[in-house]
Amino acid sequence: MIVPMKKAMLIVLRDDRDAVTMALQRCGELMPIPPENAPPGTEQAGETLRVQQALKTIKPYQEKKGMFAPRQEVSAGVLQTPSAEAQQILDQIEQTAARAEAAAAKTAEFQAKIEELRPWVRMDIPVEALGGTKAAGVYSGYIDPAKAELLWNAAEVRDGAVMQLDTGSQGTAVLVYTYRPEEKALLEDLAAIGFSQAAPPGGGYPKDTLQEWQRQLEQAQKEETDAKRRLEELGKKSDALELLSDQTDAEQQRDETPYGETAQTVYLEGWVRSDRTERLKKAIEKVTDCYELSFADPAPEENPPTVTKNNKFITQFETITDMFSRPKNGEMDPNPVMGPWYWIIFGLMMGDAGYGLLMLIGLWAFKKLKKPRGDMAKLVNIMFFSSFTTIFWGIVFGSYFGETWNPLLFGPLDNPMGMLIFCMIIGVLHIFSGMAMKMAADIKAGHFWDAIFDQFSWMMLITGLGLLFLPQTQTVGMVLAIAGAAIVFLTAGRAKKGIFGKIIGGFGGLYGITSYMGDILSYSRILALSLATGVVGMVMNLLAGMVQGSVIGFILSLAIYAAGHLFNLAMGLLSAYVHDSRLQYIEFFNKFYEGGGYAFRPLQINPRFVEVTDNGEN
Amino acid sequence: MTLGLVLAIAGAVLAAALPGIGSAYGVQIGGQAAAGVVSEKPDLFGKLLVLQALPGTQGIYGFLIAVLTMVRVGLLGGGAAELTTQQGWAFFAACMPMAIVGLLSAISQGKAAVAAIHMTAKQPDSSAKGITMTALVETYAILALLVSVLLIFVGIPV
Repeated sequence: MIVPMKKAMLIVLRDDRDAVTMALQRCGELMPIPPENAPPGTEQAGETLRVQQALKTIKPYQEKKGMFAPRQEVSAGVLQTPSAEAQQILDQIEQTAARAEAAAAKTAEFQAKIEELRPWVRMDIPVEALGGTKAAGVYSGYIDPAKAELLWNAAEVRDGAVMQLDTGSQGTAVLVYTYRPEEKALLEDLAAIGFSQAAPPGGGYPKDTLQEWQRQLEQAQKEETDAKRRLEELGKKSDALELLSDQTDAEQQRDETPYGETAQTVYLEGWVRSDRTERLKKAIEKVTDCYELSFADPAPEENPPTVTKNNKFITQFETITDMFSRPKNGEMDPNPVMGPWYWIIFGLMMGDAGYGLLMLIGLWAFKKLKKPRGDMAKLVNIMFFSSFTTIFWGIVFGSYFGETWNPLLFGPLDNPMGMLIFCMIIGVLHIFSGMAMKMAADIKAGHFWDAIFDQFSWMMLITGLGLLFLPQTQTVGMVLAIAGAAIVFLTAGRAKKGIFGKIIGGFGGLYGITSYMGDILSYSRILALSLATGVVGMVMNLLAGMVQGSVIGFILSLAIYAAGHLFNLAMGLLSAYVHDSRLQYIEFFNKFYEGGGYAFRPLQINPRFVEVTDNGEN
Repeated sequence: MTLGLVLAIAGAVLAAALPGIGSAYGVQIGGQAAAGVVSEKPDLFGKLLVLQALPGTQGIYGFLIAVLTMVRVGLLGGGAAELTTQQGWAFFAACMPMAIVGLLSAISQGKAAVAAIHMTAKQPDSSAKGITMTALVETYAILALLVSVLLIFVGIPV
């Protein structure tokens, strides 16, 4: 059912604001309504961003946590007060990361510089001596290694000399000695060959520069490893940082609470479940005596969030509906009807007692070890519950790991037609229950005849058509079908004006039979999926059976059994989840359900990493 | 071995091969799109994996039809039946709905899956809607599968 909501109006003194926000967050019952003139969504607060960045930084250095490692547990009080120690760790991580980054940049810089210098190491004069003396010039530059010989010859002709150094990425480094009077002509000649002037990097003797730079490179590298080792150490403290992340998230949420302000007070409007108003009151009473809290029913034009309350079993299936669309305020909650159907059809689609047992054990262990939360927990629970129907239908149809054994009804492979009809009957019942929901809603809204004309008539018609197939009930079926069709024909055009409009409307209504037929045929997917699970399982058994015969073959066959059936189980689960959802969304919901509500998201403690042990007043 | 048996085997081969090709293509384009999204948003991996896997079912259906045909004509365990040419053609024809629809619907479903993956990248909360949209394509593969199954199991006398 859908829980009615109340609109709460809370006024407290300015001084009490922080304490009250804390209390509200701990109690987690109030969803604040942003005032109309609320400032547009603020940027993510600096602190939260910093923590996230730091978490990302230490991620590569963090110890791998086992998949089933328990979450750290803290109390709500701890979660609401960011710890100074974690702040320090955060600072250290940021500084160290900056250090590591700077060192890495320096390393790269010196590596590049040394690379550039390397061809010049053999140069036996300091860089400052380039240029030459009065009579002789000394020039440095690069030349394509293949043309170095040409350079030498050209220089000799003009009374110059070339000294070839080593080759680097830019070419072969050369020193050119010139005789001043011939210099200009020589340089022109050399340029024509491809000599480009360039000074060696650094100053002094290149080999000294190289030593100095190598020393600096080593230092930078050492610094980098140092910083990384430090980050590794800090990575061990990721727990504290994760806690800090949750703390800052909670703090940010509190900061964003959209209070309105007056001179002495602050006020807050919000939605609260009508059955939890007392709890909200108590939570505030605990922190202040001076407050004003009133509750009012939502006005007709207001659109409160949707909270559905169902028993432990149905609640799990709410996630399926929520993924489609939450019920709108004032609409009927579809979950009490949808849930059991989802449960039954999921089992039919899997349809194998052996796989059901695997699901039961596997999911039970998963729940115990991993303790999933939120929507994930609901999904796991749905599959866990569905393992019971899977076992049930598996026994009914005698399917055990793909082998047929003593079916109570019949084996789908032995009697696919029977199974097809069975699926259609399930489909008809499923669709009828959706139509019944629509009838209930119509009658509740005072449209009794709409329920009869638009829903009940179709139920008669479809039931009648179904009964036509059995010889014993043929007459009854005929009467029902004709009566139903007559009602549809006579009433489908009742909103139209004029006799023509009514007749056309009547035919249009009857044409709707195609959509019902399409919907019912769609349930044949149950047969297809249960066959797919069964036959693939059977093939795995066949394959495993083929290799048996020797010891090695026997071991191999065990591997085939295990891998094959696990694969089949995984694919079966995926298909069943997808197609069962589809049957609910498209065939079932379109009979009565609109949706369009939004989620109730109270101000609450909602940690990502830690587990809260005492959830405040809850 | 009769010509009938050869025809039945040819049908089974096509039923396994064509939808397999289609599914491989569908899963491949889905995988490319998903890999692109995961490079920016690693958290979405689980949701995208489901979407990527959806076009894979046609391959399984085709495989299923191939195996059912083999079982029915006695290729797996027991001696192979002496099929007449007519029976052989009948089996061949019975395999065709799955072979053809499986091939094409897997490719189409792959394209729908890519669109749904892009949608999920922008709105992670809508992944269920994307799954539903993509799964709608599969309806026709399922109908083809049923026709093939019913023909192979009930429709053709051996």
